[in-house]
Amino acid sequence: MNGNLLDLLTLLAIALPLFAGFTIYLWPRGDRYLALGTGLGSVGYALQLLWSNSPRELQLLDSFGVTLLTDALSGFFILTNALVTLAVLFYCWNSNKSAFFYTQLVILHGCVNGAFVCADLMSLYVALEVVSIATFLLITYPRSDRSLWIGLRYLFVSNTAMLFYLIGAALVYQANSSFAFTSLSGAPPEAIALIFMGLLTKGGIFVSGLWLPLTHSESEAPVSALLSGAVIKVGIFPLARFALLVSEVDPLVRWFGVATALLGVGYAVFEKDAKRMLAFHTVSQLGFVLAAPEVGGFYALTHGLVKAALFLIAGVLPSRNFKDLQQQPLHFPIWIALAIASFSISGFPLLSGFGAKVLTMKNLLPWQVIGMNIAALGTAISFAKFIFLPSGSAPAQTVKPGFWSAIALLLGGLLIANGIYYEAYTWGNTIKPLATIALGWLLYYVIFRRLAIKLPRVIETFEHLIGLMSLTLVALFWMVLT
Amino acid sequence: MVKIFVFATILVGFLGILLKKNLFMKVIAMDVMSTGVIAYYVLVASRVGWFTPIVGTPPKGDYADPVPQAVILTAIVIGFSIQALMLVGVMKLSRENPTLEIHAIEQNHQP
Repeated sequence: MNGNLLDLLTLLAIALPLFAGFTIYLWPRGDRYLALGTGLGSVGYALQLLWSNSPRELQLLDSFGVTLLTDALSGFFILTNALVTLAVLFYCWNSNKSAFFYTQLVILHGCVNGAFVCADLMSLYVALEVVSIATFLLITYPRSDRSLWIGLRYLFVSNTAMLFYLIGAALVYQANSSFAFTSLSGAPPEAIALIFMGLLTKGGIFVSGLWLPLTHSESEAPVSALLSGAVIKVGIFPLARFALLVSEVDPLVRWFGVATALLGVGYAVFEKDAKRMLAFHTVSQLGFVLAAPEVGGFYALTHGLVKAALFLIAGVLPSRNFKDLQQQPLHFPIWIALAIASFSISGFPLLSGFGAKVLTMKNLLPWQVIGMNIAALGTAISFAKFIFLPSGSAPAQTVKPGFWSAIALLLGGLLIANGIYYEAYTWGNTIKPLATIALGWLLYYVIFRRLAIKLPRVIETFEHLIGLMSLTLVALFWMVLT
Repeated sequence: MVKIFVFATILVGFLGILLKKNLFMKVIAMDVMSTGVIAYYVLVASRVGWFTPIVGTPPKGDYADPVPQAVILTAIVIGFSIQALMLVGVMKLSRENPTLEIHAIEQNHQP
């Protein structure tokens, strides 16, 4: 295809969802069909990006205008977003959600796509802020008091973080008279520290991202799936992009990758609540994406698919507490879906979680290897909790009709995505994850199954979250200086 | 000199978010902080000159850099819409928690 057509497609991929979103509000009857069309369009666009696999830069207006950059990395992230949005749409198809819900869903989809193609600090800011607003409206859709509080807390934390980001962007402009990502290389250290603080908080990374577990676990199942599968990656993507464009910040991004992988998994192995365990595990998986930014796209895709599936399944489980779940057997098909997803995320061969893990492990720097292997072991331990749930002759559960089509889409995507990195299937590569999983299960059976440690939640209170932000900022400043 | 005041505004806003006990006051403190950030952009724009950059008028002297001004205009709009949205949320919360004490709200919604 020629260049102009590709550029036009990029612009359409951002503009059309927003247009469709407003149309839904004006013409509520077409809500689900318009949303479906938008999702399919994004899938097509993402596949085209992956297929052509050549980076394209697009400068709108003048040298001070908007910069867009599309390549395979954005392709992977957009594909993740499209598939997760479609799955959530299928799940909600027969529920009586109002047109307002679909409006927000589609607008959110468009802005997340926008964040995945932009390459300057200001367009990124706009995309991130609109993402916050749409997410807030989706979280508060049930209108209950708790959902309002969770939404407000999210909006507050992310807006404060974005204010710091704005100061950083002003400093970058002052130094280089440009907002492009590449101008970070000559920026003063305080600018990099401020921008990173904003994005780390937004992306749920390390201690400044501890707002995430509560937000993701207390939302409704489809909204949790969307947040954990796609939306959270708007904070991760720019960090990965920085690491690839500006070599000075690469070690910083990798360090945060390892640290957050360990932190998340450390909480996840002790967690007794299914949805909170999944949310903490999201924190740890985002670390895997950042630990090897050059192959982060594939990891983000597999994580998005699997986590969306797990959150949707967690929504139909009879209880959220693992202790109760161990008492009552699950309906067999649900157990199968749960087991497939858990196997994929633990890195079991035949599912694409395996390929993604092998690829990430291959691209680590030597100092990262130990930390990431411990994190992988922790993943196996925490998902043993799901795999070893009893299944069997439970009475058939009534699930929403859209549930199985959503799960089929996500798990099918996991199987097909295997083809992206089929070179992973060698003996040496296969044995290591199997050993990790076996060891993880053994540890689970011997130790973690009986442990009843309840980690304190005090650090997740609102004021501590804001306080942690300032601590992260100071720490980042020292890290950039040295 | 102006720079010091701008950063003082940002800091005061941030401390307000951190230390005020009332959710409503926290939202207002966030607005103070964002005012500081906006002022900083105006300051960055005026590094090279003071005069309004308008096409067509004969140049009176060194004019201000239009890019940060244009950019912060977007941020102002986004900032105030988020502010409005949050105040609506706070209003709704205040029906159940009339004092809007943040500790009380968090206590009520501990899962």
